[in-house]
Amino acid sequence: MALFTIDEVRKTFTNGEVKEEILKGINLSLREGEITALVGASGSGKSTLLTIAAGLQPATVGQVMFQGKNMTHMNSEQVRKIRASEFGFVFQFAHLVPFLTVEEQLLLMLDVSESKLKKHEQKKEVDKTLKLVGMEHRKNAYPSSLSGGEKQRVAVARAIIHKPKVLFADEPTASLDSKRSKDVMSLIRDLTKTLNITTLIVTHDEEMLAFADHVIKMSDGQVKP
Amino acid sequence: MNIAWKEIKKNKVRFLILGSIVFLVSLLTFIISGLANGLSQDNAALIKDLPSGQFYMNEDADETYNLSRIDSSIQDELLNKQKDAVAFSIQMGFLNDSEDKQRSVAFVTSTHSKLFNNVKNGEIVLDRSLEDEGIKVGDTLTNNQYSGKFVVKGFVDQKKYSHAPVAYISMENYSEIYRVKEMQLVFIPGGDSSQEIAGLQSFSKKDFLNTIPSYSAEQMSLNMIVWFLVIISGLLFAIFFYMMNVQKIGLYGILKAIGVKTSTLFKMMWTQMVFITVIALAISITFSQVFNIIAPEGMPFSLTPETTIQLSVVFLIIGFIGATLSGVQIKKVEPLQAIQQGEV
Repeated sequence: MALFTIDEVRKTFTNGEVKEEILKGINLSLREGEITALVGASGSGKSTLLTIAAGLQPATVGQVMFQGKNMTHMNSEQVRKIRASEFGFVFQFAHLVPFLTVEEQLLLMLDVSESKLKKHEQKKEVDKTLKLVGMEHRKNAYPSSLSGGEKQRVAVARAIIHKPKVLFADEPTASLDSKRSKDVMSLIRDLTKTLNITTLIVTHDEEMLAFADHVIKMSDGQVKP
Repeated sequence: MNIAWKEIKKNKVRFLILGSIVFLVSLLTFIISGLANGLSQDNAALIKDLPSGQFYMNEDADETYNLSRIDSSIQDELLNKQKDAVAFSIQMGFLNDSEDKQRSVAFVTSTHSKLFNNVKNGEIVLDRSLEDEGIKVGDTLTNNQYSGKFVVKGFVDQKKYSHAPVAYISMENYSEIYRVKEMQLVFIPGGDSSQEIAGLQSFSKKDFLNTIPSYSAEQMSLNMIVWFLVIISGLLFAIFFYMMNVQKIGLYGILKAIGVKTSTLFKMMWTQMVFITVIALAISITFSQVFNIIAPEGMPFSLTPETTIQLSVVFLIIGFIGATLSGVQIKKVEPLQAIQQGEV
């Protein structure tokens, strides 16, 4: 059974009297330990679909089922709790907290996910996760002293430290050069397999599709056959 | 994790600037409040230091105690009925010392009471500020309306009226100087406004203080400055946190996206506001209390711990309101917008 399913999701934006349908009835299911990549031209609706799946905006019609529960029927606090404890996010930019060190970024995420680990266990978990992403040597650094690739590695570490069931990545390599992009994608693939995470990734970079288990092409708000 | 403290630690200069402004505004507020209190004491310590109670003056006096003449029969009836009641009069006048140097004083006389200094004919008790000017016990003073001489019997602390030192004299000497037998006022300690007396108008202590010429005008001006400063400090908090929040909109959006509660972001802002305000207030309280001690003799300055605590609490409340109003943006932040905005 799929961990995550999207049924007949539609999204319509209203601008004055003009209504624009961005998603036109999307069906999708995501499985554990697999990377599903959404690809398509700009404006095809792939990022909108990811943000609806991640509970960052509601669908106009349709349902998003996570672990058998309908997220579209949940209130904002229930969705926030799922985002905090069950989901991980990697965005186009790392979006790290500028006044926290690398270690503190990860400790904050453990706080947010209401981790049951004790202080010293949390620190151990941070060390372990930083080792996974190859950033253990920079744990006391602030984001301003990190390179683009390092920042994105820390963002990945922050996204997985609390052992989420689903990882959402929206253009995670868009701000990186080709080598660093491959490094980050390879990292996401390894973590997906090692930690058995369900990963949904949005990318416009054809080269990155090699890292995905499934590729879904989108065009004009619909999945292309 | 205390992210509020982490941010202060990383952005010391930014918070130091806000703290310095709060310190300067609160110090100015404490100093002006001290001056307001000092001037108030200088203007009416004689009345302010009386216990709470009711003042009565003649109904026809048009709320001007100088014009009040309380009929002796009403006065006697009142004093017989209320054992601790006292009738008294105040008039501005002059005293000349042995070198014929003239000093402005407020002559006060009263019926027998523990609340006022009662002196015999020819004796005078003065406010201690005159001792500081060189007058000693046993000195003789004169008044051009009084045939005899006043012998200084002693000094009392903090007895001022209308910015002049009080001079207690006997009822007989008073009536010789001012050619009047009736008293201007009756004071009943602990009395309440419900006690009406035919022919007399009743005043609470606060109302009576406002009948003193210049008192309310002086206090209103100073209190207006104090409250303006308090409001300005609230606006400062609102503007400062508004600007900080505008800069951090993207960050707030990302934190919300990863699951941070909006209440956590508000707590972060309130913690920073309380931290800065408490430190700024602690420093300005220290400075104002030092000023309280070293203020020049002639400067009417009085900053009590009660006033300091009251103003500090007001500063904290107004800072909290200012910061909270600016925090409305935090509530409005959409995680999606922040993600699409780019790097924070």
